Amino acid sequence: MQTTTQSIRQMFLALAGGAAMTLLLEAGGLVSWAHHLELGALRTVAVPAAERMERALRPLGLAGVRQQALESLARVGWSDDPALLAMVSTPSGMPSKTVCATDAAPQGLTLAAGPSSKGAPSLLSEQRYGFLNAAGAQAPLVAGVPHVTALTPLPPVDPGKQRVVALAGDSMMAVGLSATLMRQVAGNGHLRMVKTFRSGTGLARPEVFNWMDEYPAMLGAEKPEVVIVAIGANDAQGFVVDGKVLAFGSEGWEKVYQQRVASYLAMVSAGGARVVWMGLPPMRIPTYDEKIATLNRICYTVVSQSPQAVWWNPAPFVGDESGHYREFVTLANGRPMRIRAADGIHLSDEGAGLLTPVLLKWLDPPPPVVASVQTAPVASLPPPTPAARPKRHTKRAARG
Amino acid sequence: MLFPTVEYALFFLAVLAIAWSLYRFPLYHKSFLLLASYVFYGFWNWSYVPLLFAISLFSGLVAQRIQQSTDKKIRKRWLMGGAAACLATLGYYKYTGFLLLNLLALWGHLGRPPRIPLYSPLLPLGVSFFVFHAISLLMDCYRGKVKEPVQLGDALLYVAFFPQLIAGPILRASRFLPQLAKPRDPHRVRVNRAFLLIVGGLFKKVVISNMLATRLVEPVFAVPQSYGGLDTLLAVYGYAAQIYCDFSGYTDIAMGCALLLGYRFPRNFNAPYTSTSPQEFWRRWHISLSTWLRDYLYFPLGGSRKGAARTALNLMITMLLGGLWHGAAWTFVAWGGLHGALLVIHRFWSRIAWPPLVRWRTTTAWKWTARLLLFHAVCAGWVFFRASSFEIAFSVFTRLGAAGPATLAATPVLIVLFLGLAGQFAPARWRNGLELEMGRWPALARGAALAVTLTTIEVLGPTGVAPFIYFQF
Repeated sequence: MQTTTQSIRQMFLALAGGAAMTLLLEAGGLVSWAHHLELGALRTVAVPAAERMERALRPLGLAGVRQQALESLARVGWSDDPALLAMVSTPSGMPSKTVCATDAAPQGLTLAAGPSSKGAPSLLSEQRYGFLNAAGAQAPLVAGVPHVTALTPLPPVDPGKQRVVALAGDSMMAVGLSATLMRQVAGNGHLRMVKTFRSGTGLARPEVFNWMDEYPAMLGAEKPEVVIVAIGANDAQGFVVDGKVLAFGSEGWEKVYQQRVASYLAMVSAGGARVVWMGLPPMRIPTYDEKIATLNRICYTVVSQSPQAVWWNPAPFVGDESGHYREFVTLANGRPMRIRAADGIHLSDEGAGLLTPVLLKWLDPPPPVVASVQTAPVASLPPPTPAARPKRHTKRAARG
Repeated sequence: MLFPTVEYALFFLAVLAIAWSLYRFPLYHKSFLLLASYVFYGFWNWSYVPLLFAISLFSGLVAQRIQQSTDKKIRKRWLMGGAAACLATLGYYKYTGFLLLNLLALWGHLGRPPRIPLYSPLLPLGVSFFVFHAISLLMDCYRGKVKEPVQLGDALLYVAFFPQLIAGPILRASRFLPQLAKPRDPHRVRVNRAFLLIVGGLFKKVVISNMLATRLVEPVFAVPQSYGGLDTLLAVYGYAAQIYCDFSGYTDIAMGCALLLGYRFPRNFNAPYTSTSPQEFWRRWHISLSTWLRDYLYFPLGGSRKGAARTALNLMITMLLGGLWHGAAWTFVAWGGLHGALLVIHRFWSRIAWPPLVRWRTTTAWKWTARLLLFHAVCAGWVFFRASSFEIAFSVFTRLGAAGPATLAATPVLIVLFLGLAGQFAPARWRNGLELEMGRWPALARGAALAVTLTTIEVLGPTGVAPFIYFQF
C-alpha cells in the first residue's frame, strides 16, 4: 500500500543527500553568496569555507556547467544582468559577477596588492572592479555640505532634437524619483529618459553589483547629454579591500569610497555628459541619518571637483526648516502630502514631485535662456545658518 | 530573513535538526521553536521582538481569562477589550500615517492646518498577521472552539511560529493549538509533499514572480504613459500572475517547512483564477484571510441572515475593511469595494431564476465565459491594488486602449506569464501522483532530485530576490 508519510530518518537522509548534491552543483553559487553577505561573523566564516569547498570541487567541472547554463540563458534573453547580457553578446566583453564574483578577478590580484600603511585604497585591488584614481579621489573631505544649492543652467534643447537624460543610481532613484520624472516627461518631445538605475545596489559592494560594469551595459549605445545620479543609501556599511575589513566611516573606508565615487562620476560624465549628483535626503532614523551625512560629504567633495558635475541638495525641498527629516508637508493650498515612503528612507511619489519641477525646468529650459535656475524655494525657507555652510560650500553655491 | 535565501536554508536546516532531536520533550521542543521564531523575526529588526512577545503574551493571558470565566458578560468584556487592544496596536502602527493625512486634508478644508511635525510609526514586519492570530485566539476561546485550557507557551508559539509569522497563512487557534498539545510523530511526516510545496513555492516566487515584476509590471505601473495597450494589458495580466505566484509561493514554502517540522497549515490558495464566481474566488484566494473575515467580521455583522439589503451592506463592510487591512491607502479600499460590489452583484445575479438562464449557467460555455469575465474583473481590482495612486490606476486603464508596439513581450516573460496563469489549471492529481511516485524512490534519490530542482530555480532566478509582496501587509 502506498503511503504519503515517511519517517524523520528518511527525511534527514533525503535532506543530507540533497545538501551534498547542492554543494556539488552550487559550489560557485555559494562562493558568490558568501561574498554577497554583509560584513560580520557569518561572512567571516562563510567566505573561506565556500572558497575552500569550491576549490576542492573544481576538478569535477560542475561549476562550469552552472556557468554555461547562466550564459546560455543570457543568450536567450533570460538574464536580468545587463553586464552578463553584454558579455554574451560580445564574447570579448566584460566579466560578470553573476557567474561568480571571485572568478571575475584575475587570479592572485587581490593577494598581490596588500593594503597600504595608511589605509589608502590599493589601486590593483580597486582596478579589479574598474575603479580608478579619478579626479576628486584625493581631495580633502569637506566638513559639511551646503544646504541650498543651485544647478548650472543648461542651454535650451536644439530644435528637432531630444536631450537624452540618464537616470542613474540605486533605489533612491528607482523608488519615487525616476517614475515621477518619467511620467512628467511622457509626451515631452524635448527629453528622453534612459534607465540606468537598480535598487539594492551602490558603490560600497562592487562584488555584489559592480556599477563600473553595469552602467555601460545598461546604457548600451545611448549617449546621454545629462546624467542625474541618486545613489548611496545602501552604502552605509563596511567592506573588504585587499582582505582587510574597512569599517564604515573609518579613514580607510572614506578614502576607498571617495575613490569609487570619483571613478563612478568619471564614468558617467565620460563623453561630456553634465551630471547632477543628488545628495541623499535627510533620513528618519538619526543614526542612519548621521551615516548619510558622511556619504553626502564624500560625494560632495568629489563632485565639487568636477567642472561637469554639480551636487544638488534635496533637503530644502523634502526636509523641514532646518533640513531635517519630515514625513508630511502641507502645500499652500492646504493639501497635505506624505513625502516619504513608509520606510523613512525613500521619497514617495509626491515627495519626488517636489523635486521634479526644478529638474525639469533645468533640463528643458524655456527660451529665452535664464541666467540661473534657483533650485530651492528660498522664499519659503529660512536662509541656512552660517555654521551649516562651510566656506567652500558658500563659494560653490555662489558659483552655481 | 527571506525564504529564498541561503541564510534561511541554513537556519531552517539547523532548526529542523534541533527541533526533531527534542521531539520526545515537548516543552523543550516548543520552547526551542519559540526561540527560533524570535531569532527569525529578529533577523529583520530586533527592536520589534518585544512587540511580538507582548501581543502574544497579552492575547494568551486574555484567552485564559475568557476560558476561566463562566459569566458570558465577563467573557465578552474580556474578548472586546482584548480584541480592541490588538486592533489598536495594529491601528497605531499601520494606520497612523493614513489617519494623519486624511485629518490634515479635512483640516485643510476647514482652515489652516497646524504646522507641527507629524510622524507615523515604522511598520513592524508582519504586524497584520500576528495581530490577526492574536484575535483568532481570543475569538476561538470565546466561542468555545479551543477545548483545552490555553497554555501560555503554546499561545506564544501559535502567534510567533516562524513559517507563518511574516505573511501567513493565518492559522486558527482552534486548529493549531491542538497540534501543539500533542507530541510530534517522527514516523508520519509528509516529506514528499513538503518538498513539492517548497520547490513549487520557490519556483513561483524566484522565477515567475520576480521576472514578471521586474520586466513587465514595474515598468508599466511606474510610467503607464510610456506604453501601448498591448504592453499595458500584459502588465495587468502579469500582475495578476505575479501576486498569485508571490503570495501563494510564500505560503507554499511556509506550509512545506511546517510539514517538515511535523505541523500542518491550512491551504491558503486553490487555483483562484479558475473560479467562475466572486464567491468561489474568495473560497480559493487567500483562504485563511477570507475565512477569518467571514467568521470574525461578516458573521458577527449578521452575515446573510438579515435580508438582502443588510447582506449587501455586510458584504461591502467586510470587503472594504479587508481592503484596508491590505494597506493604508484609498486604492486598497477601492480594491476591497470593487470585490464587495462583485459579490453583491453576483448574489443578485445568481438569484434570477429565469429557466433559460438557469439552464445556460450549467453549460461549459457559460462557465468559461464567467471565468473570463471574473478574471478580468479581478484584474481590474489588481490595478487599484498595485497602483500607488488613483491617477496611475486610471492612467493604466486609459492606456489599455492606446496604440503602440508590445515592447515588453519578450519570450521569457511570456513563458513565465503563461506558467503563472495556466499553471492553476494543472489537475491536482498530478501533484498527488508525483508525491506518491516519490514515495517509491530511495531517500537519497529524492534528495538529489531536490538539489537539481533547487539549482535549476537558482539559475533561472534573478540576481537578487525581491521581498515578498505580502510582507508589507
